[in-house]
Amino acid sequence: MPKLQPSSEDVRVYEVAVLYPFPINQKEEKNILDEIDTIFKEADAKLIESDKWGNRGLAYNIEGYNEGNFIIYYYEIDPLKIKEIDEALRILPGALRHLIVKPPKGYEVVKFSKDYQEWISNRETESERRTREKEEKIKKQVADKAKRQVKRTENEKKAPVKKSEATPLEEKKLSEQLDKIISDDELDL
Amino acid sequence: MHKKQQEKRTDPRAKKCPFCDKEVKYIDWKDYPTMKPFVDYFGNIMKRYYTGICLKHQKMLKTSVERARFMGMLSYRK
Repeated sequence: MPKLQPSSEDVRVYEVAVLYPFPINQKEEKNILDEIDTIFKEADAKLIESDKWGNRGLAYNIEGYNEGNFIIYYYEIDPLKIKEIDEALRILPGALRHLIVKPPKGYEVVKFSKDYQEWISNRETESERRTREKEEKIKKQVADKAKRQVKRTENEKKAPVKKSEATPLEEKKLSEQLDKIISDDELDL
Repeated sequence: MHKKQQEKRTDPRAKKCPFCDKEVKYIDWKDYPTMKPFVDYFGNIMKRYYTGICLKHQKMLKTSVERARFMGMLSYRK
Protein backbone atom coordinates (compact mmCIF):
# COMPACT_ATOMS: atom_id res chain seq x y z
CA MET A 1 0.00 0.00 0.00
CA PRO A 2 1.24 3.51 -0.78
CA LYS A 3 2.54 5.71 2.00
CA LEU A 4 1.06 9.18 2.26
CA GLN A 5 3.60 11.92 1.71
CA PRO A 6 2.81 15.50 0.68
CA SER A 7 4.41 16.66 -2.57
CA SER A 8 5.47 20.05 -1.16
CA GLU A 9 5.81 21.79 2.19
CA ASP A 10 2.76 24.02 1.67
CA VAL A 11 0.27 21.19 1.52
CA ARG A 12 -0.70 18.43 3.89
CA VAL A 13 -2.43 15.08 3.38
CA TYR A 14 -5.89 14.86 4.92
CA GLU A 15 -8.31 12.00 5.18
CA VAL A 16 -11.88 13.08 4.49
CA ALA A 17 -14.76 10.69 5.16
CA VAL A 18 -18.30 11.43 4.02
CA LEU A 19 -21.43 9.51 4.96
CA TYR A 20 -24.57 9.79 2.85
CA PRO A 21 -27.81 7.79 3.06
CA PHE A 22 -28.13 4.40 1.35
CA PRO A 23 -31.63 4.04 -0.11
CA ILE A 24 -31.11 6.95 -2.53
CA ASN A 25 -31.73 7.67 -6.23
CA GLN A 26 -28.80 7.39 -8.62
CA LYS A 27 -29.35 11.01 -9.65
CA GLU A 28 -29.20 12.27 -6.08
CA GLU A 29 -26.11 10.15 -5.41
CA LYS A 30 -24.42 11.63 -8.46
CA ASN A 31 -25.35 15.13 -7.35
CA ILE A 32 -23.83 14.61 -3.91
CA LEU A 33 -20.59 13.18 -5.34
CA ASP A 34 -20.34 16.02 -7.88
CA GLU A 35 -20.85 18.62 -5.19
CA ILE A 36 -18.15 17.05 -3.03
CA ASP A 37 -15.81 17.13 -6.03
CA THR A 38 -16.56 20.79 -6.70
CA ILE A 39 -15.87 21.66 -3.05
CA PHE A 40 -12.41 20.14 -3.32
CA LYS A 41 -11.78 21.66 -6.74
CA GLU A 42 -12.47 25.14 -5.37
CA ALA A 43 -9.84 24.57 -2.69
CA ASP A 44 -7.24 23.35 -5.24
CA ALA A 45 -7.04 19.95 -3.58
CA LYS A 46 -5.25 17.05 -5.22
CA LEU A 47 -6.81 13.58 -4.94
CA ILE A 48 -4.38 10.85 -3.92
CA GLU A 49 -6.65 7.92 -3.17
CA SER A 50 -10.31 7.18 -2.64
CA ASP A 51 -12.08 4.24 -1.11
CA LYS A 52 -15.78 3.49 -1.62
CA TRP A 53 -17.15 1.27 1.11
CA GLY A 54 -20.65 0.92 -0.27
CA ASN A 55 -23.68 0.57 1.93
CA ARG A 56 -23.25 -0.45 5.53
CA GLY A 57 -25.60 -0.66 8.45
CA LEU A 58 -25.43 2.23 10.92
CA ALA A 59 -25.15 1.64 14.66
CA TYR A 60 -27.91 4.18 15.34
CA ASN A 61 -30.52 6.10 13.41
CA ILE A 62 -29.20 9.22 11.64
CA GLU A 63 -31.86 11.53 10.19
CA GLY A 64 -34.21 8.57 9.76
CA TYR A 65 -31.71 6.35 7.94
CA ASN A 66 -30.51 3.00 9.24
CA GLU A 67 -28.05 2.39 6.41
CA GLY A 68 -25.47 4.60 4.78
CA ASN A 69 -22.79 4.85 2.12
CA PHE A 70 -19.24 5.65 3.19
CA ILE A 71 -16.62 7.26 1.00
CA ILE A 72 -13.08 7.96 2.15
CA TYR A 73 -10.85 10.38 0.24
CA TYR A 74 -7.18 11.13 0.71
CA TYR A 75 -6.54 14.69 -0.44
CA GLU A 76 -3.58 17.02 -0.49
CA ILE A 77 -4.99 20.26 0.88
CA ASP A 78 -3.54 23.60 1.91
CA PRO A 79 -4.02 23.71 5.71
CA LEU A 80 -5.37 27.27 5.48
CA LYS A 81 -8.31 26.11 3.34
CA ILE A 82 -9.39 23.22 5.57
CA LYS A 83 -11.85 25.40 7.46
CA GLU A 84 -13.68 26.36 4.26
CA ILE A 85 -13.95 22.73 3.19
CA ASP A 86 -15.20 21.72 6.62
CA GLU A 87 -17.87 24.42 6.50
CA ALA A 88 -18.91 23.53 2.94
CA LEU A 89 -19.24 19.83 3.80
CA ARG A 90 -21.29 20.70 6.88
CA ILE A 91 -23.75 22.71 4.79
CA LEU A 92 -23.83 20.15 1.95
CA PRO A 93 -27.39 18.86 1.53
CA GLY A 94 -27.75 15.07 1.46
CA ALA A 95 -24.60 14.30 3.46
CA LEU A 96 -25.30 12.87 6.90
CA ARG A 97 -21.84 13.11 8.44
CA HIS A 98 -18.32 14.06 7.47
CA LEU A 99 -14.99 13.73 9.24
CA ILE A 100 -11.64 15.29 8.43
CA VAL A 101 -8.67 13.58 10.04
CA LYS A 102 -4.98 14.28 9.80
CA PRO A 103 -3.34 10.85 9.43
CA PRO A 104 -0.14 10.27 11.44
CA LYS A 105 3.33 10.23 9.92
CA GLY A 106 4.08 7.21 7.78
CA TYR A 107 0.43 6.23 7.54
CA GLU A 108 -0.26 3.63 4.88
CA VAL A 109 -3.55 3.68 3.01
CA VAL A 110 -5.57 0.61 3.86
CA LYS A 111 -8.68 -0.21 1.84
CA PHE A 112 -11.06 -1.14 4.61
CA SER A 113 -13.83 -2.02 2.17
CA LYS A 114 -11.91 -5.22 1.32
CA ASP A 115 -10.81 -5.89 4.89
CA TYR A 116 -14.35 -5.60 6.16
CA GLN A 117 -15.65 -8.11 3.62
CA GLU A 118 -12.85 -10.53 4.52
CA TRP A 119 -13.56 -10.10 8.20
CA ILE A 120 -17.26 -10.79 7.67
CA SER A 121 -16.52 -13.97 5.69
CA ASN A 122 -14.03 -15.14 8.37
CA ARG A 123 -16.50 -14.41 11.11
CA GLU A 124 -19.11 -16.51 9.32
CA THR A 125 -16.67 -19.42 9.16
CA GLU A 126 -16.04 -19.02 12.90
CA SER A 127 -19.73 -19.28 13.67
CA GLU A 128 -19.98 -22.25 11.33
CA ARG A 129 -17.09 -23.90 13.17
CA ARG A 130 -18.90 -23.40 16.46
CA THR A 131 -22.06 -25.01 15.10
CA ARG A 132 -19.97 -27.86 13.71
CA GLU A 133 -18.35 -28.44 17.10
CA LYS A 134 -21.76 -28.49 18.73
CA GLU A 135 -23.04 -31.02 16.21
CA GLU A 136 -19.97 -33.21 16.74
CA LYS A 137 -20.54 -33.12 20.50
CA ILE A 138 -24.16 -34.17 20.06
CA LYS A 139 -23.12 -36.95 17.66
CA LYS A 140 -20.58 -38.24 20.22
CA GLN A 141 -23.19 -38.21 22.94
CA VAL A 142 -25.62 -40.12 20.71
CA ALA A 143 -22.93 -42.69 19.80
CA ASP A 144 -21.99 -43.18 23.47
CA LYS A 145 -25.63 -43.64 24.36
CA ALA A 146 -26.05 -46.26 21.63
CA LYS A 147 -22.94 -48.12 22.83
CA ARG A 148 -24.17 -48.08 26.40
CA GLN A 149 -27.55 -49.40 25.31
CA VAL A 150 -25.95 -52.22 23.31
CA LYS A 151 -23.88 -53.19 26.37
CA ARG A 152 -26.94 -53.12 28.57
CA THR A 153 -28.94 -55.31 26.20
CA GLU A 154 -26.03 -57.78 25.99
CA ASN A 155 -25.79 -57.93 29.79
CA GLU A 156 -29.54 -58.43 30.06
CA LYS A 157 -29.38 -61.26 27.54
CA LYS A 158 -26.56 -62.97 29.44
CA ALA A 159 -28.04 -62.52 32.89
CA PRO A 160 -31.42 -64.29 32.51
CA VAL A 161 -29.78 -67.36 30.87
CA LYS A 162 -27.57 -67.79 33.94
CA LYS A 163 -30.53 -67.36 36.24
CA SER A 164 -32.63 -69.96 34.42
CA GLU A 165 -29.71 -72.41 34.67
CA ALA A 166 -29.05 -71.63 38.29
CA THR A 167 -32.56 -71.73 39.71
CA PRO A 168 -33.52 -75.40 39.06
CA LEU A 169 -30.21 -76.64 40.48
CA GLU A 170 -30.64 -74.52 43.55
CA GLU A 171 -34.21 -75.73 43.93
CA LYS A 172 -33.09 -79.32 43.72
CA LYS A 173 -30.33 -78.72 46.27
CA LEU A 174 -32.71 -76.95 48.56
CA SER A 175 -35.28 -79.70 48.36
CA GLU A 176 -32.63 -82.32 49.03
CA GLN A 177 -31.32 -80.44 52.03
CA LEU A 178 -34.85 -79.94 53.34
CA ASP A 179 -35.55 -83.61 52.96
CA LYS A 180 -32.36 -84.38 54.82
CA ILE A 181 -33.29 -82.08 57.65
CA ILE A 182 -36.80 -83.43 57.89
CA SER A 183 -35.63 -87.02 57.78
CA ASP A 184 -33.12 -86.36 60.53
CA ASP A 185 -34.24 -88.11 63.66
CA GLU A 186 -32.00 -86.24 65.98
CA LEU A 187 -33.91 -83.03 65.57
CA ASP A 188 -36.24 -82.11 68.39
CA LEU A 189 -38.94 -79.97 67.09
CA MET B 1 -19.87 -23.29 43.00
CA HIS B 2 -18.80 -19.87 44.23
CA LYS B 3 -15.33 -21.03 45.23
CA LYS B 4 -14.74 -22.71 41.87
CA GLN B 5 -15.49 -19.51 39.98
CA GLN B 6 -13.09 -17.58 42.17
CA GLU B 7 -10.33 -20.07 41.49
CA LYS B 8 -10.80 -19.82 37.73
CA ARG B 9 -10.32 -16.05 37.57
CA THR B 10 -6.87 -15.00 36.30
CA ASP B 11 -4.83 -12.20 37.80
CA PRO B 12 -5.78 -8.98 35.97
CA ARG B 13 -2.32 -7.57 36.49
CA ALA B 14 -0.76 -10.44 34.57
CA LYS B 15 -2.38 -9.41 31.25
CA LYS B 16 -0.33 -7.96 28.42
CA CYS B 17 -1.31 -5.17 26.04
CA PRO B 18 -2.55 -6.79 22.80
CA PHE B 19 -1.56 -3.70 20.80
CA CYS B 20 1.99 -3.60 22.22
CA ASP B 21 2.51 -7.23 21.14
CA LYS B 22 1.85 -6.23 17.52
CA GLU B 23 3.71 -2.89 17.89
CA VAL B 24 0.68 -0.86 16.81
CA LYS B 25 1.48 2.79 16.16
CA TYR B 26 -2.00 4.05 15.27
CA ILE B 27 -5.48 2.65 15.79
CA ASP B 28 -7.63 3.52 12.81
CA TRP B 29 -11.22 4.62 13.38
CA LYS B 30 -12.23 2.73 10.21
CA ASP B 31 -10.89 -0.56 11.49
CA TYR B 32 -14.06 -2.02 12.98
CA PRO B 33 -12.76 -5.57 13.66
CA THR B 34 -9.89 -4.36 15.88
CA MET B 35 -12.04 -1.97 17.93
CA LYS B 36 -15.00 -4.28 18.41
CA PRO B 37 -13.56 -6.58 21.11
CA PHE B 38 -12.81 -3.58 23.35
CA VAL B 39 -16.36 -2.24 23.29
CA ASP B 40 -18.92 -4.03 25.44
CA TYR B 41 -22.56 -4.90 24.72
CA PHE B 42 -23.78 -1.48 25.87
CA GLY B 43 -21.33 0.38 23.62
CA ASN B 44 -18.98 1.47 26.41
CA ILE B 45 -15.22 1.27 26.00
CA MET B 46 -13.98 -1.43 28.35
CA LYS B 47 -11.77 -0.53 31.29
CA ARG B 48 -8.02 -0.98 31.04
CA TYR B 49 -8.18 -3.15 34.16
CA TYR B 50 -10.16 -5.81 32.30
CA THR B 51 -8.54 -5.66 28.84
CA GLY B 52 -4.93 -5.12 29.91
CA ILE B 53 -4.30 -2.37 27.33
CA CYS B 54 -1.50 0.07 28.16
CA LEU B 55 -2.34 3.73 28.74
CA LYS B 56 -0.86 4.89 25.42
CA HIS B 57 -2.99 2.51 23.38
CA GLN B 58 -6.08 3.08 25.53
CA LYS B 59 -5.91 6.78 24.63
CA MET B 60 -5.53 5.92 20.92
CA LEU B 61 -8.46 3.51 21.19
CA LYS B 62 -10.60 6.17 22.85
CA THR B 63 -10.08 8.67 20.02
CA SER B 64 -10.72 6.07 17.34
CA VAL B 65 -13.86 4.75 19.02
CA GLU B 66 -15.19 8.29 19.44
CA ARG B 67 -14.61 8.99 15.75
CA ALA B 68 -16.28 5.73 14.76
CA ARG B 69 -19.24 6.60 17.01
CA PHE B 70 -19.64 9.98 15.36
CA MET B 71 -19.68 8.38 11.90
CA GLY B 72 -22.33 5.86 12.96
CA MET B 73 -20.11 2.78 12.87
CA LEU B 74 -20.28 2.16 16.61
CA SER B 75 -23.14 2.95 18.94
CA TYR B 76 -23.00 5.49 21.76
CA ARG B 77 -25.46 3.54 23.88
CA LYS B 78 -27.46 0.37 23.38
